[in-house]
Amino acid sequence: MKLKTLLLGAAAAVAMAPLAAQAERGSDGQLNIIYWQAVSILNPYLSGGSKDRDASALIIEPLVRYDPTGAMVPYLVDTIPTVANGGISEDLTSITWTLSEGILWSDGTALTAADVVFTAQYCMAEDGGCASATAFADVENVEAIDDRTVKVTFSKPKPFPYGPFVGNASPIIQAAQFADCLGAAAPNCTDANFGPIGTGPFMVSEFRANDTISYVANPNFRDSAKPAFASVTFKGGGDAAAAARAVLETGEFDYAWNMQVDPEVLSNMEAAGKGRVVSAFGTMVERMLVNLTDSTAAAGDARSTPEAGGHPYLADPAVRRALSMAIDRATLVEVGYGAAGKETCNVVPAPAIYASTANDWCLTQDIAGANALLDSAGWVDSNGDGIRDKDGVELSILYQTSTNAVRQDTQALVKQWWGEIGVETELRNIDAAVFFGSDPASPDTYQKFYADIEMYTNWFDGTDPETYMNSWTCGQIPGPDNGWQGNNMPRYCNADYDALVVKLSSTSALDERAAIIQTLNNMLMEAGAIIPLVHRGAVSAHANTLLGVDLNAWDSEMWNIADWTRGDM
Amino acid sequence: MLNYTLRRLMFTVPVLLFISFIIFIILDMAPNDPTGNLPMTIPPDVREKIRESLGLGQPLPVRYFKWCVQFFINEPLNIIDKMFDVCTWGCEDRLRVRSWATRSPVVDLIVERMPQTLWVVGMSYVVGIILAVPIGVISAYKQYSWFDQAGTFVSMVGFSVPSFFSGVLVIVIFSVQLGWFPSIYDTTLKVVDWDTFMMQIRQMVMPVMVLALQTTAQISRFMRASMLDNLNMDYVRTARAKGMKETTVLLVHVLRNSLIPVVTVIALGIPAIFGGAIITEAVFKVNGIGQLLIIGIQGADIPLVQTLTFIFAVLIVMFNLIADILYGILDPRIRYD
Amino acid sequence: MLDNGQKREKLVEVSDLKMHFPIYAGLFRKHVGDVKAVDGVSFDIFDGETLGLVGESGCGKSTCGRAVLRLYDITSGSVKIGGREIGATPQGDLRKMRPTMQMVFQDPQASLNPRMTVEGIIGEPLSEHTDLDRKGKLAKVHELMDAVGLNRAFSSRYPHEFSGGQRQRIGIARALALNPKFIVCDEPIAALDVSIQAQVVNLLEDLQKKLGLTYLFISHDLSMVRHIADRVAVMYLGKIVEVSPRDALYSDPLHPYTKALLSAVPEPDPDVTTDDRVILQGDVPSPSNPPKGCNFCTRCPAVMDICHENEPEFREVSPGRFVACHHHNETTN
Repeated sequence: MKLKTLLLGAAAAVAMAPLAAQAERGSDGQLNIIYWQAVSILNPYLSGGSKDRDASALIIEPLVRYDPTGAMVPYLVDTIPTVANGGISEDLTSITWTLSEGILWSDGTALTAADVVFTAQYCMAEDGGCASATAFADVENVEAIDDRTVKVTFSKPKPFPYGPFVGNASPIIQAAQFADCLGAAAPNCTDANFGPIGTGPFMVSEFRANDTISYVANPNFRDSAKPAFASVTFKGGGDAAAAARAVLETGEFDYAWNMQVDPEVLSNMEAAGKGRVVSAFGTMVERMLVNLTDSTAAAGDARSTPEAGGHPYLADPAVRRALSMAIDRATLVEVGYGAAGKETCNVVPAPAIYASTANDWCLTQDIAGANALLDSAGWVDSNGDGIRDKDGVELSILYQTSTNAVRQDTQALVKQWWGEIGVETELRNIDAAVFFGSDPASPDTYQKFYADIEMYTNWFDGTDPETYMNSWTCGQIPGPDNGWQGNNMPRYCNADYDALVVKLSSTSALDERAAIIQTLNNMLMEAGAIIPLVHRGAVSAHANTLLGVDLNAWDSEMWNIADWTRGDM
Repeated sequence: MLNYTLRRLMFTVPVLLFISFIIFIILDMAPNDPTGNLPMTIPPDVREKIRESLGLGQPLPVRYFKWCVQFFINEPLNIIDKMFDVCTWGCEDRLRVRSWATRSPVVDLIVERMPQTLWVVGMSYVVGIILAVPIGVISAYKQYSWFDQAGTFVSMVGFSVPSFFSGVLVIVIFSVQLGWFPSIYDTTLKVVDWDTFMMQIRQMVMPVMVLALQTTAQISRFMRASMLDNLNMDYVRTARAKGMKETTVLLVHVLRNSLIPVVTVIALGIPAIFGGAIITEAVFKVNGIGQLLIIGIQGADIPLVQTLTFIFAVLIVMFNLIADILYGILDPRIRYD
Repeated sequence: MLDNGQKREKLVEVSDLKMHFPIYAGLFRKHVGDVKAVDGVSFDIFDGETLGLVGESGCGKSTCGRAVLRLYDITSGSVKIGGREIGATPQGDLRKMRPTMQMVFQDPQASLNPRMTVEGIIGEPLSEHTDLDRKGKLAKVHELMDAVGLNRAFSSRYPHEFSGGQRQRIGIARALALNPKFIVCDEPIAALDVSIQAQVVNLLEDLQKKLGLTYLFISHDLSMVRHIADRVAVMYLGKIVEVSPRDALYSDPLHPYTKALLSAVPEPDPDVTTDDRVILQGDVPSPSNPPKGCNFCTRCPAVMDICHENEPEFREVSPGRFVACHHHNETTN
């Protein structure tokens, strides 16, 4: 699929949309949404949490969103700039956006290029702590050519220049409202952060932090027939099971987010017939990271850095491969994820053009094969303690992850399978705020990686994995010199890989990019630095009477809330 | 008594300052990170920027001093401004204690949470006491009767069944099966007429009952034990020998003496009302102070947790003092000089 | 004192009074036995006299005193006060009769409600049983305080602010509030300092003279009983073993137990030989499991075979002297 076809798809989606909604604005009354993680703030630039981004997506919008297929859909512009239509300069260093005509803020004033420029300034301001800074990476300048035209200039050629103002990470905020909130002053603008003025279908009527948001339809929304709902209540709190119950069993709510509930429990609730569970797959992959450096305490200060040398046994590719072969991914999906997961053998499982098929051997569990592989590599149980060893090194693994019921189930299953191939496993789980925290003094962070194997989910925003692939270059290895900041958890370092990543950054043709990304993915998989387990989807539940929900893994789940209506199945 | 109260109050100041410093140190040593719960797609350098914008780059004594200034000077000044609609010194750019997750003043968040917490948790406390006192009295008076046995059983249930079980159980029965009460508390509901009042009652029934069961269990046991202590006292026999009515003996002589320790226990439990009920609030989505605290802890929202914990500390210290003073008022044998 | 045995009116008549406390044990709290604290007691008290009730600790004298006043629901027997049978009267009806019969308790500290002022304690029965107004009540309280020798300025104080002797005076004032005829004094001096004991006993005697009271004076202090009582009843293990006029009892005790008790009284004169002192062996049997035959047979220095078999009858062996002992059966028969 080329970018053009993506765009065609987008155009078709836009053309379809008006057919769905014939209703008048506000004719469907009240909509109730429940997020079991309560919303803290409605300014996504100060939060970054997906709950906060979703809640603000009802109000503020980017220029372009992604649809459920990963294609771009224009929201505040008429056309998406490309090299072909002249919107992107030939040298790939600038992109020019033209705003649609007549778009108004909810306070009745007109959306202008100045607002777009201000949005960039806001996020790029010093000391602002902008959570969406990645979207503005390499941006050199954002200027308003005229009232409706904005030109973004990059410091280097950007083959994929759709970072700023695209997707749910960088919606446009109103310059007039946030003018005094730049940089260090950002947190002081509580009123603006709790009630941004936007161009979206709804506006805030009451915001109760970490509790409930009440919205009403935006009278100045560009489509006079939308949204169909007059008001929305966005309730937060509780747990995933309670949220599922409120939609599927009691019918008190119309929509619930992120149904991290035991698959069996969820399907029992769905049987009550009040609602249904929907899922969508983006790029989230639950994976194991294999520590290629010496993670034993004996390594001292150099522990888990390349200076400590190779890992006593995980440095052997045969061991890494055998560990992957011993895992039954289908069982992991069935036990822990249900509709929310699919087994995968790639770290880049989507979009389809980037997904490789070269590693599909991992889809079937092969205990016998793993045993044979370890035998032939010289790992045998020489001292009769039931654990394979070689040269005095025992295959005894410390396997860590964050505290989470599903992850602990996975750990237990994996421990059992690895036991069948003569590998001993010690399990460890750490509270998420500690594990994913980056306190350089804490030995328990995922970046320090004082373990042999760790497990978590990662993904990339939007559809382009260039930055994501950059994670596993040598320069990204965390260590004391960079304050343990870095994304290369396996400490994988391969000159060929790094060279290919550099090549990717200067390649713009989509099919060439796809080929490079597949190769990078395959290099990681063949090296066994990452053991992918489950391709995770977003799972939500909605009432049967709520129509128009089209779950989107590439953008906010609320991306098309303007099209939601009330009706019978 | 006044001297005693003043002396105790004076002593609380260094105690509370010390407590606030200990809380600060403990929270600082906790290895969690306010950016820890952000999506993995936010790279480490951006996280570092976010942490700097939260003021985490500064050394601990500076942060503690800033918090003290904000909490002990700026927040009270702000309350004065709000109450009298004036602008005392520096009201425009006064730094207030701000939550890291919401970037809004912590005190405003707490004030917003107070109504539902006081309504639900406070009401459950009142209901619990109203039920517990008669249950305790009758259980003690008719010791080992079927009523006493039933009361003991209910207390055991109240003590041993956690609210995350009883709460979900009543939701499944009364919300899912019978559909009588909503399973999710609506904090935005404003009581303006009879219908909204009834809605408020309906949404309060389940959380209040679940919490009241625990309060009743606890206080009825205290009440019973205290009544039993007093029922066997000689002065009760004296009262009977005087030819007083049995109800007079029970309610005037025994109950009033038995209430002394119970009132103290009740007073000591009041700070817990303001602390909210973390689990029950989560089960019924009441989103009061308890939920605010747990969200703050999960999200490593240090200013929020620090401030809430400190307010609890103040309340606990205060109600300990109040309990002591109450004891002095209720029991003429105790004198503070 | 009236001790010349003329024909007087009986104010209190107790016959075959039994007070058993059930014992429950086991998982289902089964009734497994009874503590026979008072097991068939009979005696009379004449109008205006003081009957001393003596016995060692645990023999049931306090229970007996309370049972006579029906502070317990008695197991069986009959109690007549002023000719009226109250043995089976329900507590509710009994309440109306409380003014005529009162009690002074052993522990003046515990028997006064700590949260009531002296005025409240003394005045409470007045509001319950009379229709005095506030002023009248206060006047009566002050009058009672004067009568027992308490400073009336202390009427708004709490019991803990008084000394032990003063507290017992409060207890006496409270008992007197409703002009009773009969007062059970349950070891009223046991908890007091020796120096105070005499004061309180003298107060009781003065009040008896002034108000014509009848006392059942329970004590384990034989010399104090000798001082105050007209007649003395000796109790052992739930039963009365001997009732005699005071002087007769002290000079010529009939029952072996009485003899043993009297010989245990410390003799203030060191020159008097105490060779004939009777020392009892062994412990008092459990009141839940009394011995067969005579209750005293396990410790009696003059025990006979019959004592282990038959319970001795409580009978009048000489005018005004009653005893329950097989030795005295023979003399009279």
